[in-house]
Amino acid sequence: MDITDDEILKLVETVKVTSKYDFSDYTEKSFRRRIEKVVTDNKLSVDDLLKRLKTDKTFLEKIVRDITVNTTELLRDPNVWITLRDKILPELKNKESINIWHAGCSSGQEVYSMLIMLNELGLYDKTNVFGTDLNTDMIEESKRAIYKYQFNAIYFENFDAVFNSTEEVAKRGKLSYDKYFTIDKNKDLIIVKDFLKKKPFFRTHDLVNDDNVFGIFFDLIICRNVLIYFNNKLQNRVFDLFHRSLFPDSFLIIGMHESILGPFSTRLEKRGLYYKKRHEY
Amino acid sequence: MKNKIILIGGSAGSFSVVTQILTELPKNFRIPIVLCLHRLKHVRSGFAEALSLKSSNPVIEPYDKDRIEEGKIYIAPANYHLYIEAHKHFALSTEDSINHSRPSIDVTFVSTASVYKENVIAIILSGANNDGAYGIKRVKDLGGITIVQNPEECQVSTMPVSSIRIMKPDFILSSTEIIKYLIDINNKAFFGK
Repeated sequence: MDITDDEILKLVETVKVTSKYDFSDYTEKSFRRRIEKVVTDNKLSVDDLLKRLKTDKTFLEKIVRDITVNTTELLRDPNVWITLRDKILPELKNKESINIWHAGCSSGQEVYSMLIMLNELGLYDKTNVFGTDLNTDMIEESKRAIYKYQFNAIYFENFDAVFNSTEEVAKRGKLSYDKYFTIDKNKDLIIVKDFLKKKPFFRTHDLVNDDNVFGIFFDLIICRNVLIYFNNKLQNRVFDLFHRSLFPDSFLIIGMHESILGPFSTRLEKRGLYYKKRHEY
Repeated sequence: MKNKIILIGGSAGSFSVVTQILTELPKNFRIPIVLCLHRLKHVRSGFAEALSLKSSNPVIEPYDKDRIEEGKIYIAPANYHLYIEAHKHFALSTEDSINHSRPSIDVTFVSTASVYKENVIAIILSGANNDGAYGIKRVKDLGGITIVQNPEECQVSTMPVSSIRIMKPDFILSSTEIIKYLIDINNKAFFGK
């Protein structure tokens, strides 16, 4: 399926004028691939797709969801979680309360990974955890917190790398998956336990158009593998939003292969796998 | 002539070949090389470092938006798709696996072909699935040079065989011949030899 640059521009324009969504600052190649997939999956020509987008709001919402859906996994990049445990959370643990924002939380695995970490460190009760995503389906999935066993079981390797390393096991014994998940191999399900599901606050949020909708500052913002879909201009806007939403000396984590370039590279200081908001007077 | 790029895709059985290629390319090798190799998701670090030790040029896992530079060897990071965008920089994505693979060779080859067109030299090495076949076909369709490792020499020949099935590569070469070809083309592009 080959789509011309012109058709891509028309699509972006159509979505822009008929909805609140603006994809004009998305990176070209992955956006194109998703459009190609949408066109193929719906067995439509680009012309028909354009026509339908103009007239059918429900269809437009569905297409936007298909374009913006992202994959995530339990404890993705164990080293990041080990850094959180050993470097970041120790600096926050003596605060009266801790506010954490998972921006672009997708289907929620990262939020639940955080809750498990907080619970293991005894910081669960004093922490407020927020998860947001552009995609309403993803928010519903995050709240449901039921995942396919066959696609997620491999991520228990991450769980073991973080919680069941030789060192950790020597310190506090082996951490069992059953503490946090009900695993039903017959039904192919991993179900997050109810007490964890009650804790986080999920809502939709558009990093491109919305401001800080919570009216609070954060001690830690985690936004991993979302910025890769934005061009530099849009990335800078998001860094501005994060910078304005963070307490002084607080933390930002982005994807392992993402970096802050441009004006915010001096205001958010890189420290290995995370960034720290510099104190400005 | 200095706008060329070399793409190498492979999976099972390709690591020793890649190591051999990187070991034998000279220090003055200027054409950027992008490696897209399937590997275990959770064996994250170490691979680029190990290749760096063998290679006379630095082997880098690029960051999102990094510019492609001469004299560097890039390897698609584990668990991301690696694209090349219009202004010759990298873009990463965590979309679903394609052909059961992330990184997917098709993704890297197709996006690079659309930017570099006839300046791509694409190579498919030993591998256990058909990822990369569509990608190398696109390279060929857009005027690039296509090379497939001789299936008889491959530890696992599924990948080169699937490529040959859907397109006619410009060359079917052994690993030693691939190295010689790359050195020749680098000399022509940069040293007028």
